[in-house]
Amino acid sequence: MDKLIVSSAPHIHGRDTGRGIMLDVIIALLPAAAAAVIIFGLRALGVIAACVIASVLAEFLFNVCTRREQTVGDLSAVVTGLLLGLNLSASVPIWQCVVGSAFAIVIVKCLFGGLGHNFANPAITGRVFMLLAFSSVAGGAMPVVVELEASATPLELIASGSEQLPGLWDMFIGLRGGAVGETCIAALLAGYIYLVARKVIKWYVPAIFVGTVFLCFLAATGDFTVALYEILAGGLFLGAIFMATDYVTTPITDSGRMLFALGCGIITFVIRHFCAYPEGVSFSILAMNLVTPFLEKWTAKKPLGGS
Amino acid sequence: MNLKKNISILKLPHLKKTAGMNSVRISPPKEVLLPMNMHSGQAAVPIVAEGEHVRVGQLIAREEGRNSSPVHATVSGVVKAIEPFGPTVAIRIESDGKMEKDPGVVPPEVHDLDEFLQAVRDSGIVGLGGAAFPLWAKLDAVRRSPIKTVLINGAECEPFITSDNRTMIEHSDLIVKGVALLKKYLLSEEFIIGIERNKPDAIAEMNRVFADDPSVTVKPLKSVYPQGAKQVLLYNATGKVVGPGQRLASLGVIIINVTSLAKMAEFMETGMPLVDKCLTLEGSAVKEPKNLVVPIGTPVSHIVEQAGGLCCEPGKLIFGGPMMGHTRESMDSPIIKATNAVIIFSEKDSRPVKSTACIHCGRCVANCPLGLNPTAFARAMEIDDQEERYAVLDKENVMLCMECGCCSYVCPARRPLVDTNKDAKRFVKKTKAAKDAMEKKEGGN
Repeated sequence: MDKLIVSSAPHIHGRDTGRGIMLDVIIALLPAAAAAVIIFGLRALGVIAACVIASVLAEFLFNVCTRREQTVGDLSAVVTGLLLGLNLSASVPIWQCVVGSAFAIVIVKCLFGGLGHNFANPAITGRVFMLLAFSSVAGGAMPVVVELEASATPLELIASGSEQLPGLWDMFIGLRGGAVGETCIAALLAGYIYLVARKVIKWYVPAIFVGTVFLCFLAATGDFTVALYEILAGGLFLGAIFMATDYVTTPITDSGRMLFALGCGIITFVIRHFCAYPEGVSFSILAMNLVTPFLEKWTAKKPLGGS
Repeated sequence: MNLKKNISILKLPHLKKTAGMNSVRISPPKEVLLPMNMHSGQAAVPIVAEGEHVRVGQLIAREEGRNSSPVHATVSGVVKAIEPFGPTVAIRIESDGKMEKDPGVVPPEVHDLDEFLQAVRDSGIVGLGGAAFPLWAKLDAVRRSPIKTVLINGAECEPFITSDNRTMIEHSDLIVKGVALLKKYLLSEEFIIGIERNKPDAIAEMNRVFADDPSVTVKPLKSVYPQGAKQVLLYNATGKVVGPGQRLASLGVIIINVTSLAKMAEFMETGMPLVDKCLTLEGSAVKEPKNLVVPIGTPVSHIVEQAGGLCCEPGKLIFGGPMMGHTRESMDSPIIKATNAVIIFSEKDSRPVKSTACIHCGRCVANCPLGLNPTAFARAMEIDDQEERYAVLDKENVMLCMECGCCSYVCPARRPLVDTNKDAKRFVKKTKAAKDAMEKKEGGN
C-alpha cells in the first residue's frame, strides 16, 4: 500500500512514440525499396543494404566510442541509411556507400548531439557529400528490367534538349535512369498516402513542394508535358515526401512548413532551369534546412490572450 | 489569423463509463481528516480543541487572510487530533456514526448583495472544478465592476470524470435556483451553460429546466480537451479572450463550475455548508467504477472499501482527472473539497515513462490550446544568462500556460513538457518579483 507512485500530471499519454514514427517512415519507404530492387536489380539491394547497415553500425560505434547511451534502438539510423541508399545510383561502389553513410550519421547527426539536434538532414547531406566527393552518384545506372535506348537520366536528357525521353507512364512506374529509390513515383505515392493516413506527415508539404515545381515550369515553358516530366523526373517525389517532411530539420509551425515547401520548390526550379546542375532537390532542401530557424521565428503563433 | 482553428483540438479517450450511474451516498467513515488548505488561498485556522464534540456542518476552522475559506465538520463525533499536514495542519474527527446535524445549520438570512456574499463566504464553497478558488472571492468581483455574463462550466473535459454530469442530471433544480440567486444579487443578465456534446443527458436536462428562461443559453461544445479550461471555454462559448494582464471579471464575465453553483443554491436553501462531495471513483485498479457522495475528509481506503474494493494492486492514486490531477502517496489520503474524482491505476498503468530526445515533430505546438510553443520554453530554460532566459520566456508568453497537459500527452518522445513549463513559470515569477522589488527600492531612494 505504501508503494504508490507519485508523479506529475498528465498521467496518461498518446499512442505515438518516436520509435513508432520512425517505424512508420521505414514502412512507407518499403514500396520504393522494393521497386528499386525490381527495377535496378540486386545491385540496388546491395547499395540500400550497405547504407542501412553502415548507418546503424556508425551510430552504434559512435555511441560506444563516446560512451553515450546506445540510441540505435530509436530506428532513426535505419531511416537515414534507407533514405541515403534510395538516393544513390545502383552503380555506386559499396565502399562509397559506407563512407557516405558514416558521414551522414557521425558528422551530420551525432557530432551535433544526436537525434533531434542536427540542423541539416543527414541523408541529404550525405548524398550531397558523395556527389561532391565521388561524383557520378545521382545519374548513371539504368533499369535492368527493360532495354532503354538512352543512357542518361531524363533530367539530363531534358537539359540537353534530347527527344529520347521515356514515356510519361514509364516515368510514373519508374522505368528510367536515376537513383534507385527515386524513379518509381507510384511506390513513393503509396508511402505518401501511408504517412498522411498515419498522421506522421502533413499532406501539404509534399503537395506544395511538387506543386510549386510544376507551376514554375509551366509558367517558364508554357508546356504542360514538360512540367509533368519535370516533376516525375529526378528525386522530387522522394525528397518532397520523405526529406522535406523531416521533423528535425524543418520548421515546427504549420505555416513555417508551408513556406519551407514553397522555398524548396522555387529553389529546385531555379537550379534545374537556370543552373548547370540538372538536379536541385537535394540542394533546395539543404538550403531550406539552413533557414528553418528563421522560418520558425517568423511564423510563430500569437498565443490566445498573449502579446 | 483565425484563432478558432487553433483552439483545443486534442481528442482524448472519454472513458466516461460512469456517466449513466446515479450517485450513491456511502456510509460514513470511522474518521475524517480535514486539512486547513483545501482551497487555493491562505489556510484556515482551527477554532476547536482536541476532545471537543462536533456535529455535521459545525464551523471548526475560520477563514484567515487572503482568499481563505472556512472548514466545517463533515461527520458528527469527537475531534481526535489537530495534526501537522503538509505546510499546514488538519483536524482529525472520529465519527460517532450518527451523522448528527449541527443545530446552527439554518438557512441564511439574505436580503442584499452584502448578505449574499457573506453567506457564500460562510458556506465554505470553493471552485469545485478543481481550482478550489473560494467562490465568494470570485463573486466579490461584482463590487468592482458589473458581471453581465455568467458562464456555467459543465464541460467536464477530463477523461473518466462524470460527477458534474451527475450534478446536472440529478440536481437540475439546484442549478435553476443558483441561476435565480445570481440574477437577483449579482444582477447578471446572461447565463451560458457550456457542456461537452458527450453528455447528451445533461444537455437535455438543462434544456428542459431552462426552456422558458431566455436569459439562459445551453451551449453544447465539442468534446475536446481542455474544453473546460477558463480561456478555452470563454473563447468557445462567447468568442471573448482575456488579454495579457487582464482579469476575466474585467470583461464582465465570471465562470462558475456547475457543481459549485448547485452547492451554493443548496446552502442558501438549507444552510448546510460544503461538507460532502459527489465524486467519480474510476481507474484500472477499481473493481466497480461508481459515482459516490462522500463526506469531505474521508480516506480513500474507506471509499474504495464501500465501492467494492480493488481488482488488483494499486500503482497510482490520482485526485482529479488523469490529465491534471495530483497523485497521493497513501491510500489513506483524505479527499478534499475540490476532489471531483479519485482515480486508481493498476501497477501496469502506473509505470513511469522513459523520455527520449525531442525530434522537433511539432505535436506539442499543434496541440497547445493557447498556441504556445513548449519546445521554446524547454530551450529557453537551458540559457545560462538569467536576464536573457527571462526575456525569452517572457516573450514566449510562458505565464499563459495553464498546465493542461496536452503537450506532454501528445509528445512521442515523452518529454516532461508540463514540468518544464512549470519550472519556467516559477522562474519567471521569481525573477519578476525580484525585478519589481529592485525597482521599488530604486524608486524609494
